[in-house]
Amino acid sequence: MANNKDVEVISAPNMLQIKVGGPISQGDLHLIQKAEEAMKDLRSDFGQWLEEEVVKLEAAAKVVRGTGLKGDEGEQLFVCAHDLRGLGATYEFPIITRLAKSLTKMIDMPEKRAVAPTALALAHVGAIRAALSQNIRDDNDPVAAALAGELETQTATFAEPWKDD
Amino acid sequence: MMPSDPGPDMSDSTLDTTLSRLTILLVDDSAALRGALRVSLQAFGCGRVVEADTVDRALDVLRANPVDLVITDWKMKPRDGIDFVRTLRDRRHSPVPHLPVIMLSAYSAEDRIRQARETGVDAFLTKPFTAANLAQTLRETLGSTSRIRAGADDAALATAS
Repeated sequence: MANNKDVEVISAPNMLQIKVGGPISQGDLHLIQKAEEAMKDLRSDFGQWLEEEVVKLEAAAKVVRGTGLKGDEGEQLFVCAHDLRGLGATYEFPIITRLAKSLTKMIDMPEKRAVAPTALALAHVGAIRAALSQNIRDDNDPVAAALAGELETQTATFAEPWKDD
Repeated sequence: MMPSDPGPDMSDSTLDTTLSRLTILLVDDSAALRGALRVSLQAFGCGRVVEADTVDRALDVLRANPVDLVITDWKMKPRDGIDFVRTLRDRRHSPVPHLPVIMLSAYSAEDRIRQARETGVDAFLTKPFTAANLAQTLRETLGSTSRIRAGADDAALATAS
């Protein structure tokens, strides 16, 4: 990472702005609504798309169950969890984003994976699978909320020594 | 979303008229996420959306096609989004060193965002994204006129600009 003295603020030509003839307005709410409607049209695909990602997560978890979280196996589980963290809410399963965020928090660094409890990681995977299979989308479901809260608490306890996002 | 240069005053142009003239490259190893982005961009009126599932394929696309804006994921293998942007900003090897880049990631920590900025990312879109924050990030990118770059190579780039 560069030191401050190595950082320069420069004015590069904004070719995009030149091409489009100027900056754009804030008045695009109808377009946002149109995009949200278009996403709703894909709703029937959301579950299948998430299923494919959860299958990848479970495959990584299956390996980790035998090897532990150290090494490439643990990193692969992190990559899968990271993808689900980014996808869950977009595909109308914010509870999956919440659970995946907790999982990534405990295994996002090699130093953490070296000491992270595998059982806790696998518990997150199980909770994600259950949410998808039972179509539990958010933490309005009291059981899901309680489970997510407990997993987050245990993760926070484990990850407390590390500063992360 | 990271704070960014607000750019000049906004005109009455809307996203659809603006984006209809543009080709946007999506780089993400998740077909599902590319699908969601593509649908949103098409709803915004984007003229053309092209896709790549790896950094190397994205660079191939850029060598073969005129592209106006890149939206790339951070966490990819074997090369990640930061590596992609670093290559893109390298004038010695990049066909488009000034190409605006929006970085898409579930990372939201300040040091991660700073790292992306210093590598040459113009804007940062946190996953999970919504249509609203995608639109806002596009506005910021289209309206932005300054970038922060680090290192001697980028100083040379500034001089050349």
